[in-house]
Amino acid sequence: MPTLEVNCATADMAEIAFAGQVSRARRVLLIIEGLVLIGALVLPVMLHDYLTVFATRVVILALFALSFDLVWGYAGIMSFGQALFFGSAGYGVALLARDLDITSILLVLPAGTLIGLVFALLLGGFLLLGRHPASMIFVSLGTLTGAYAADRLARGWYYLGGQNGIPSIPPMTLGSYELSEGSNFYYLALGLLVIVYVACRFLVRSQFGLALAGLRENEQRIAFFGYRTQHLKAIVFAIGGAIAGLSGSLYAFHEGFVWPNMIGVVVSTQVVLYVLFGGSGTLIGAVIGTAIVEGLSFWLSDNYRDIWPIILGVLLLLVILFRPLGLISLVLTERERVGSFAAKAQDKKRAQHHAAS
Amino acid sequence: MTSAFMAAFEILSFGAIIVLIVLGLGIIASMMGIFNFAQGEFVLLGAYITYLAYSHGLPVWLGMAAAPILVGLLGFVLEALIIRRFYAAPIVAMLGTYALGLIIRESVRGLIGGFYLTVPEPIGGSIDIATIHISAWRFTILVITALVMGGCFLLLSRTSFGLRVRATLENPALARASGVSTNFIYGTTFAFGAALAGLAGALIVPVFDLFADLGIRFLIQGFVAVMLGGVGSFMGPVAGAGIIGALSAALPWVIPPVLADVLVFLLAIVFIKCRPQGLIAQGGV
Repeated sequence: MPTLEVNCATADMAEIAFAGQVSRARRVLLIIEGLVLIGALVLPVMLHDYLTVFATRVVILALFALSFDLVWGYAGIMSFGQALFFGSAGYGVALLARDLDITSILLVLPAGTLIGLVFALLLGGFLLLGRHPASMIFVSLGTLTGAYAADRLARGWYYLGGQNGIPSIPPMTLGSYELSEGSNFYYLALGLLVIVYVACRFLVRSQFGLALAGLRENEQRIAFFGYRTQHLKAIVFAIGGAIAGLSGSLYAFHEGFVWPNMIGVVVSTQVVLYVLFGGSGTLIGAVIGTAIVEGLSFWLSDNYRDIWPIILGVLLLLVILFRPLGLISLVLTERERVGSFAAKAQDKKRAQHHAAS
Repeated sequence: MTSAFMAAFEILSFGAIIVLIVLGLGIIASMMGIFNFAQGEFVLLGAYITYLAYSHGLPVWLGMAAAPILVGLLGFVLEALIIRRFYAAPIVAMLGTYALGLIIRESVRGLIGGFYLTVPEPIGGSIDIATIHISAWRFTILVITALVMGGCFLLLSRTSFGLRVRATLENPALARASGVSTNFIYGTTFAFGAALAGLAGALIVPVFDLFADLGIRFLIQGFVAVMLGGVGSFMGPVAGAGIIGALSAALPWVIPPVLADVLVFLLAIVFIKCRPQGLIAQGGV
């Protein structure tokens, strides 16, 4: 049957072309990731001390952006209240340091992560699970409302310091060593960022990550395949909350104070900006977006403090209209967001094919 | 007795303000499926236009009359240029309108600085009934809200324009096939919603003063009210707004204000979770 053979051949060719495309995209991604990492490693050597402090803040915020990217970019849950987990962890560790004198790094960072995880489990469980599957609009407005309510509560509650928040948090300690801001703190934050990044990368490349990408693209179809979509969403929401909690606790100790904006709508929308700018659905996009937005804002706010937010709004609008996948889509194709089944197996097949011919 | 009456008036008039603000938000959300994050900034613009008229020596009521017209025009232009691209994707629409709102809010902040600017009430003084004094302006807001609400209801339920709007909401493809210009309907609906927000801003500025975050203050309350009432009808958001407004004004009389705020949101979200279609399920006007 010649026609069938021809069909097989073209299908094979298409598969090979596809696999080639994937591995090329993978290479581009690896190169970008490597460049970012090398840049981040040598940065403190070249910068003044006060700029290292700024760079540390960017790294911590990039960790936070990663948590939002996981939730929105991969699972398609629009969390307008990601700061709720960031801020509650910040407040939590600030209270630990203020009232219980606990500043050991081995205790406060896990505590912050746990706080983020628990809050995310509670809110995510309530919003996402249940008899009626929750609509996207409901979840996004629900998270927004949650963050707004937390902001109001933090502002009005005397125990949490009201409008002023909790000032002068003591530095983190490791044994008797006090970790204050500077290049050591920078490398700590960067190390945590790399660990979390690699873990997230592993997660999104796994079967679970593929199911998430499917969920984002077409939830109903994934549900028909037999996945419990609401559970998948709740799980990734909780993981995102834990990462946000980790970055929130780092942020609190780095800045030395926490204040109500950190838990409310302001920071929640800020992280949305980072990820949209960089490109949602690619982990490196979130990191790059954070660096670009924070860097621009640092550079411009000296001279153009008043018009910077306007410029930010215009840029955001342009990105949404013309580059919905963010700046990273200039170099990476849409394929990267979707993921693929066992690229390695396909590579092997291609090698066999080459050997045969 | 007197204080009970005062409390009732306070609750009613705050409820009316929330209804006025939510009306435009609800119309846009119901008719177009877009949760407009820039709605708070339309309110802010309405207030700002009123302040501009006042600071240039014009009568305040003139500014109040101009505000809805100007904001409505702006809404029409924005719909044609930007919002139109977002209809297919509600989440992207949220982000896009958020960016628009950011631009408007920060521009106004740049223009007025970080100040609280006051605008006098066009109708000052108070209405006295026996021993009870109620603010004449807040009473006027109450009356105007009732008139606007009635007008919107009649427009949507009795006129041929309203029929076309509802047809577009119900089934856009069929409406287009029947010769309704859905693009024009969407444009006008958005402009109308924006104009209502402008009117709301103009009317409330003597009560709340003008500051850059005026719109944000009401935006989340507005969203919760629309969800509570139910998207897809005219009466739903109005009912939701009435409840949210009344609760927000009434609860601080019984429990600490901070808790009251949070409790209102909590109750509303739990209610919506249990009844996603809202108070008034789809159907009717």
